Amino acid sequence: MGKQVAIVSAGFSEHASKRSDVNMGELVSEAVEDCLKKVPSVGFDDINAYVNGNMPAFEGSNIPELWMTDWMGARNKPLMRVTTGGTTGGSVAIAGYYTVTAGLPGIDTVLAVAFEQQSQGDTSVGLASVAYGEISILNTLGISYDQITRLLSAGAAIGVAAYQATTYMNKTRITEEDLARVVVQNRHNAAKTWWAHLKMPNLTIEDVLDTPYVQYPLRYGMVCPASDGACAMLFTTEEKAKDMCDIPVYVNGVASVANESAVLGYDGGGSAQVDPSMQLGAIRSSELAYAQAGISFPRKEIDYAEVYAPFPNQELLWTEKLGLFEETTAPEMYKNGVTALKGELPVNCSGGVNSTNAIGASAMERPAEAALQIMGKASNQVPKTVHTSIGSGWGGSLNLITLMAMSDQPQRKWR
Amino acid sequence: MEKVGIVGYNQVKLQSDANYGRYEMIFEAVRGAIDKAGLKKKDITTVISCTNDYYDGRTISNCFTVEVGGGYLADESKVEMDGAHAVLYGLLRILSGNHKLAVVWGGSMPSCFPYHTTRLYETDPTWERPLAYVNDITAAGFQMRAYMEKYGVSKEEVANVAVKNRKNAAKNALALEEAQNQNITVKDVLNSDIYADPVTELMVAQPCDGVAALLLAPEKQARKITDNPVWITGVGWNQETYYLGDRDLSGSKSLELAGKMAYNAAGIKDPRKEIQVAELYEAYAHEELIFTEALKLADRGKAPELNTNIKGDLPINPSGGAIGGNPPCGTGLIRIIEASKQLNGEAGTYQVNGVKKAIASGQIGMCAQNSILYVLEGGN
Repeated sequence: MGKQVAIVSAGFSEHASKRSDVNMGELVSEAVEDCLKKVPSVGFDDINAYVNGNMPAFEGSNIPELWMTDWMGARNKPLMRVTTGGTTGGSVAIAGYYTVTAGLPGIDTVLAVAFEQQSQGDTSVGLASVAYGEISILNTLGISYDQITRLLSAGAAIGVAAYQATTYMNKTRITEEDLARVVVQNRHNAAKTWWAHLKMPNLTIEDVLDTPYVQYPLRYGMVCPASDGACAMLFTTEEKAKDMCDIPVYVNGVASVANESAVLGYDGGGSAQVDPSMQLGAIRSSELAYAQAGISFPRKEIDYAEVYAPFPNQELLWTEKLGLFEETTAPEMYKNGVTALKGELPVNCSGGVNSTNAIGASAMERPAEAALQIMGKASNQVPKTVHTSIGSGWGGSLNLITLMAMSDQPQRKWR
Repeated sequence: MEKVGIVGYNQVKLQSDANYGRYEMIFEAVRGAIDKAGLKKKDITTVISCTNDYYDGRTISNCFTVEVGGGYLADESKVEMDGAHAVLYGLLRILSGNHKLAVVWGGSMPSCFPYHTTRLYETDPTWERPLAYVNDITAAGFQMRAYMEKYGVSKEEVANVAVKNRKNAAKNALALEEAQNQNITVKDVLNSDIYADPVTELMVAQPCDGVAALLLAPEKQARKITDNPVWITGVGWNQETYYLGDRDLSGSKSLELAGKMAYNAAGIKDPRKEIQVAELYEAYAHEELIFTEALKLADRGKAPELNTNIKGDLPINPSGGAIGGNPPCGTGLIRIIEASKQLNGEAGTYQVNGVKKAIASGQIGMCAQNSILYVLEGGN
């Protein structure tokens, strides 16, 4: 019944809008090297299996793991590919956990790799195809393509995120300034993270509010960049972890739960009633992961959180839905500095997805950073000691949430 | 490894143009499996799907399958490989102890997309894709030629495999109608259109529409759910290097290593004596021969001499195999289902007698770059 799993290392490639100096395989190898560099006793021979993923439509290569096998050292090794859209990185990390915990003979150390090189293709075109199926159905109902694109797929992910933002703003009565404050905190944090993309140490709220709207209420300055980058995490068993690093980070709870699939839904009806800021998937994911990890009072027990949020409203929303703050109180917490580097519950000290978004990798960078904060090896390390942390991921059409709860202590109670 | 039970399965009829929605098809497969096992939606704790964004023509192809696949508010994920690999993830989840019932489904609708064109996106984007000389079909041509040259195997012996599988498919009501042929001869196979010399049309497992679903449960729950669960006692998977020139195409390194791992897990010492039936995902007729050898069921170059008919020494693909219908992302899963049917005695007209241990394989990539093998056992 399930071995205790530990994270012993995590690594990143450098992130930028265009990493045209490398191809996909080389980009991935940067992250793998950075990951293994931190655990000198581990070589490729010690890795028994691989888990891998990205969003294939963005680069224009189907199952790219096939040709980048040798760049990861995966030749003649078991490899599994997991992709779930925006949550891909989180799903890959979770699959890495499951591969170790299952305890198959001969498999105890697993390298999980997630990446995206968006400059190879067109992300917005890739994302628009998420909505195409529904658009064709709506067309048959007499709703013109023009109206739908303007409503939903214009600006790809922003199109749907704007709905989520306005419904959330309606509940909390916050202003655009509250959204900008989140962005400023993230970009300042990113400036201190070596691998981050948008580093803006001098950004102010006024600067953010001075940029044009992409879609109300989201302004250009509030939106995540499109990055090239990769992330790797090394999972192993409790016994082996102690030999590999000083402070192993134990994975105590994982979940990836989806709510109803869409704002519009498959047939353009029914699901349209779902409030995109309700987030049943996030609530259920946190229930499952916290129950496994033995976390009863997330607000008190969790010391650090990495929340997947390309847009600032989502960071506010999901810190609430994942149980870190009471409903509608997150904006206040950001105002009071609770989530800052030196605050009581620091959030996204890596700069978050808002500052760096290599989509397939983003949801893995969250648990990776959250684990490094426990190890004390994060680039922008929080001053307090972190015992328990979480890393989340968001994907699908606003509906799928992955979550990994980690701690410096193994958790066996729940079984 | 601890054994995991297969407690239910269902497959839709394979069709070249199903002419009904992808989502209806998924629902039919998954709901059917749950109904047959006498379970309810609330019993599902995890769902693993298997689709491919390129095959489905949309980014995040599992996004709108949440409800129809039984994934609403269940812990779910997607494996973008073969259906057999999705079963692997379901198996890992069950073995973790976090889950009590896993639904695994996989399939696709190639009637909506040009399958071999999408396969081209698997090739190296810099050197191979622009000219498209190397693609999944020409790679199969290299593979068959390499195998024939190395071991002196004739075209007729390869065509025999296609004949056997198409005749077997005729007995399988769920197989692709176009693939079923009771009266096919070696001559028909060799005289069909050339795909990539020496591979001809009838040697190819034609992509078709279809979805299959499978239910997995830990041993204790499996015994409660059904009286005759099929046990997964061994699994192995492996990926070899990419460039065809770096590989020995006359064999399958990936399946050889996967087989070694699975046999080891299941404690199989002499596969030839211990295994009664094999369901292999052969994307082309010659691959069945190569795989048979990679799995140590025959000596190198001797697979054509093995009698693999339903009543033969070692029946391979009594259901018709992938040549009997090849829904991308579903084929490997169907192999596991067919092997389970053999163990449960549910295979009807193509039942093999006295099956106690069976193996089933899956693959992705050109010339089966990544392979997976399961060892299945019946009885309690």
